[in-house]
Amino acid sequence: MLLLWSGLAAAQGDAKRGAYLAKAGGCLGCHTESKDGATPYAGGRALKTPFGTFFGPNLTPHPEAGIGRWSEQDFVRALREGVRPDGAHYFPAFPYPSFTRIVDADLRDLFAYLKSLPPSNRANQPHDLNFPFGWRWLVWFWKFLFFTPGPYAADPALSAALNRGAYLTNALGHCGECHTPRNFLGGPKMSRFLGGAKLAEGAGASSLRSEGVKKTSDKDLKDFLQTAMTPDGDVAAESMAEVVRNTTGQLTPQDLDALVAYLRSLPTLPDEAK
Amino acid sequence: MKKNVVAAGLILAMASGAALAQMKPDVMVKQRQAAMSLIGKYWGPIAGMASGKVSPYNADVVARNATYLENLAQMPWDGFHDSTKNEKSRALPDVWGQNAKFVELANRLQTETAKLAQSARARDEAGVKAQFGAVGKVCGACHEGFRAK
Repeated sequence: MLLLWSGLAAAQGDAKRGAYLAKAGGCLGCHTESKDGATPYAGGRALKTPFGTFFGPNLTPHPEAGIGRWSEQDFVRALREGVRPDGAHYFPAFPYPSFTRIVDADLRDLFAYLKSLPPSNRANQPHDLNFPFGWRWLVWFWKFLFFTPGPYAADPALSAALNRGAYLTNALGHCGECHTPRNFLGGPKMSRFLGGAKLAEGAGASSLRSEGVKKTSDKDLKDFLQTAMTPDGDVAAESMAEVVRNTTGQLTPQDLDALVAYLRSLPTLPDEAK
Repeated sequence: MKKNVVAAGLILAMASGAALAQMKPDVMVKQRQAAMSLIGKYWGPIAGMASGKVSPYNADVVARNATYLENLAQMPWDGFHDSTKNEKSRALPDVWGQNAKFVELANRLQTETAKLAQSARARDEAGVKAQFGAVGKVCGACHEGFRAK
């Protein structure tokens, strides 16, 4: 009986585990309006990109406004393949090129967590995109060029901690979505993976594999990822500070260790020619 | 009488932007950076204690630092003078291009640090803990669009 029950629970996903995974995935950031008192996960944050402004949709289980009518299969397909339940492609502002690497069990837990949220009727806002990027079918071509679906497969040559760190960085944390530079089509330049990038909105995302990071002590790196501050009191730009509040500052000590260990294991990239 | 005229003239010269304009741009950059460094110096311990990373909470240190911050928060801004536009620094062109937004954030830093200092001097630990996030957000918001990484 107990076995049957736990089997069912596994099939339905564990909402409590999902809550932690949602933090590690930083879902809140794009799926919550950026004003005080906004309903978490009800959507509305504007994401400005060179292709236009995207608005994160409502992830609460409201049947019309949110994902209340979605099946677990719909959810898995959305994150793994970047496809809506009606079959249309998502714009890659939704970071499914990273989320595709989330393993099935974690996807189920995430879905269970989202289903446990209070439903909000906040209506989704249409994206405001520059011509011709608003043509959704063009995304098919983008995916053909830049998107490789499939969950993260642990590298047996690496320690469990490094595999966990890689998974947190590249699947859930989707760090590369900002910290890897993009080409003119918005595809990632994999030769400069996590090598730092200019962002549309502000100054830019720094390299995660530079000499600078290598020279920073583990303690200072972890302090930064928990407080968004350097030892001399300097404060990170707000978009990273928000990531720290919502994601890296919420990780368990073991996960934070794994993340830092993984970043340290990446070889340093030479500075890009200016 | 003559002395008074000279003194009045001096005060006028100092009060108008004339004195600033004569100051070398590279010096102004250094001075505003010095103010920012000191803000970091006194902000660090407050943020550490308010977030619980550093314990125990020392209300005296917080009160002293917050008062320093309240004053320091007024100091960097005249250093972003037009004549410093082309000086080498991490200040982005938007400091001047989007100046209204920059000035608004500069003002907000002053009001938020004043509130922080008020709570800190009243030895109101809960108030400091509630306010420190608001100050941090202003720092981060300005570093976002106005400072190169």
